[in-house]
Amino acid sequence: MTERISKYQRFKMMNPIIQFFKYIYLSIKVLVIVAGGHGGTRQVN
Amino acid sequence: MARIVVLGAGISGHVAASHLRRKLSKEHEVVVVSPNSNYQWIPSNIWVGIGRMKSKQILFPLAPLYKKKHIDFKQAKAMTFHPEGDQTENKPYVLVEYVVGDKKGQQEKVTYDYLINGTGPKLNFEATEGLIPGQNKAYSVCTYTHAEHAWENLEALIKEMKQGKKAKILIGTGHAKSTCQGAAFEYILNVEQELRKHKVRDMAEITWISNEYQLGDFGMDGMLLSYKGMTMKSHEMIEMVFEDRGIKWILGSAVNKIEDGLAHYENLDGEFKTETYDFAMLIPSFSGHGFKAYDKNDQDITEKLFKGFMIVDADYTPRPYEEWSVQDWPETYQNPSYNNIFAPGIAFAPPHAISKPRKSKNGTDITPAPPRTGMPSGITAKIVADNIIDSIKNGKESLSHKGSMGNMGAACIASAGYGLTSGSGVSITTFPIVPDYNKYPKTQGRQLGKTFGEIGLAGHWLKLTLHYAFIYKAKMKPFWWLLPE
Ligand SMILES: Cc1cc2nc3c(=O)[nH]c(=O)nc-3n(C[C@H](O)[C@H](O)[C@H](O)COP(=O)(O)OP(=O)(O)OC[C@H]3O[C@@H](n4cnc5c(N)ncnc54)[C@H](O)[C@@H]3O)c2cc1C
Repeated sequence: MTERISKYQRFKMMNPIIQFFKYIYLSIKVLVIVAGGHGGTRQVN
Repeated sequence: MARIVVLGAGISGHVAASHLRRKLSKEHEVVVVSPNSNYQWIPSNIWVGIGRMKSKQILFPLAPLYKKKHIDFKQAKAMTFHPEGDQTENKPYVLVEYVVGDKKGQQEKVTYDYLINGTGPKLNFEATEGLIPGQNKAYSVCTYTHAEHAWENLEALIKEMKQGKKAKILIGTGHAKSTCQGAAFEYILNVEQELRKHKVRDMAEITWISNEYQLGDFGMDGMLLSYKGMTMKSHEMIEMVFEDRGIKWILGSAVNKIEDGLAHYENLDGEFKTETYDFAMLIPSFSGHGFKAYDKNDQDITEKLFKGFMIVDADYTPRPYEEWSVQDWPETYQNPSYNNIFAPGIAFAPPHAISKPRKSKNGTDITPAPPRTGMPSGITAKIVADNIIDSIKNGKESLSHKGSMGNMGAACIASAGYGLTSGSGVSITTFPIVPDYNKYPKTQGRQLGKTFGEIGLAGHWLKLTLHYAFIYKAKMKPFWWLLPE
C-alpha cells in the first residue's frame, strides 16, 4: 500500500465539520450541473 | 383519449409513467408492462452487496402505488412488437406474456397510441462462458437478489479470513465490451473498506480487472477534471485512490471464460492469461433483449426497430473513430420509422462507443460500451414523456423537448465505503457526458468547471441523500416532481 493521500488530507476528507460544508457545496454544485438544463446538439436551419 | 404504454418499470420506465400520469388528465390511459413486481433503486445494490443495507430498504412493490395513482400495471414481459397492428388488430400493439398469478403464461395484445420502450439492458451473462451469478465463486450486484447472494458469500469468506485464510478478490468487468465500470468501482472500494472494518484487510489481495484502457475511463474515454484547484486526468485520480487503498489493477482485458476460481482473459497485447480468485464480482456485458418486430402482414421488420437495442434518432452511419461527432447522439429518442415509439434510458441503441475503440493484437475488440447511468436514463425518460404530453395536448406531433447526452451533465457519486462517520464517496460530475470536442477543444471535450472530482465523507452523505430522495420520488410522495431526475 502506498500512502498517496497524506494524513492531513485524510483528516480533511473525514472531518465531519469540514465535510458538512463540502456536502452543502457539492449538493448545490451537482444540482446546478444536473438541473442546469440540457438540450440538443444539432443546428436547426 | 390516448393510451400510452410504457415497457419496463426501472428508472426510465417509472420516471416516464409517473410524469405522464401527473400531467395527463384521467381520460388518457397510462399502462406499465413490466415483469418485476418491485421497483428497485439499483445504485444502492452496492450496499446490499456488502451487507450494509437490506433489499427491502432499496425496493417497494409497484402494484399498490400504480393502483393508487391510476396507472394500469401488467406484470408481464413484452415479447414482440407490431407497430402497424396485424390482420385482425388495426391498432399498433405489443404482444405481452404475463409472468405471475392466474394469467401466468397468457398472452395479450396491448394496443397503444404511444409506446415507450424502457426495458433497459439484458444482463448478458451468457456472453462470457461460465459467468453465472453465484457459480464458480463469481457474483453480481446488478440486481438486489444477486447482491444479497454476493454478500452471503463475501461474509462467509470474511469469516474464513478471520480464521487465517488468505484470499484473492477480483472485481471489475466480465466481458470485452462490458459497461457500468462505475458500479464495479464502487463495489471494489466498498469491499476494501468492509475488509478493513472486519480487520482482515491484510489477509486479502484485491485486484481490479477491466476492459478499460486506463483507470477512470468509465466507458466515457476518461475525463480531465478539476480536483483541489488542479486540472487532473481521471486516471490519475483513480490511480491515487487505488494505490492508497492497496488495490492492484489489470487493464485492457477481455474476460472470456470463468471456471471455479479462475478468470481467463485476453489483454490488448494479445496475451491469454488467467487470474485466480476466491471471490469475484464481474459486470456482464449488456445487450438488447432480442425483441422481434412484425408489420401488418406479419413480415419481419425487426431491423426497422432494433439494432440490438432500439433504433432512435441517432446517426448510425458506420464511420472511423476520428469522424465521430457529438451530433451523432440522439435528442428525442424517437424511432425514425414509427414516430409514436420512443426508447429512453439504456433501451436505445447508442450510435457508437464513447471510449476510443481498441483491439487486441489478435483482433479482439476490447472497448467499454457507453454507459447510460441513472441520471441520463431519468432525464431522457422525462424528455420523452414531455414530448408525448405536448403532442397529445396540441393534437399534433411536438418534439420541442430535447436532451442529447452531448449536451447533458451527469453526476457519478461513487460510494467508496459505507458509514455515517467513516464512509466515503468519490464524487465526479461530467459535462457533457459525450465529449464535445468542437465546443471544448482544449479540455478533452468537457467543460472544466462542471467536470470535477471530490473525495471524502461528504460524498457518502450525498450518495445516501440521493438514495432516500430518489426512493421518495419514485414512491410519488407529495411534491415528488420537484426533485430533478
Ligand atoms: C450495481 C449498479 C449500480 C449502479 N449505480 C449507479 C449510480 O450510482 N448512479 C447512476 O446514475 N447509475 C447507476 N447505475 C446505472 C443505473 O442503474 C441504470 O442506468 C438505470 O437503471 C437504467 O435505467 P433503465 O430504466 O434504462 O433500465 P433498468 O433500470 O434496467 O430497467 C429496465 C426495466 O425493464 C424491465 N424489463 C426487462 N425486460 C422486459 C420486457 N421484456 N418487457 C417489459 N419490461 C421489461 C425490467 O424488469 C426493468 O423494470 C448502476 C447500475 C448497477 C447495475
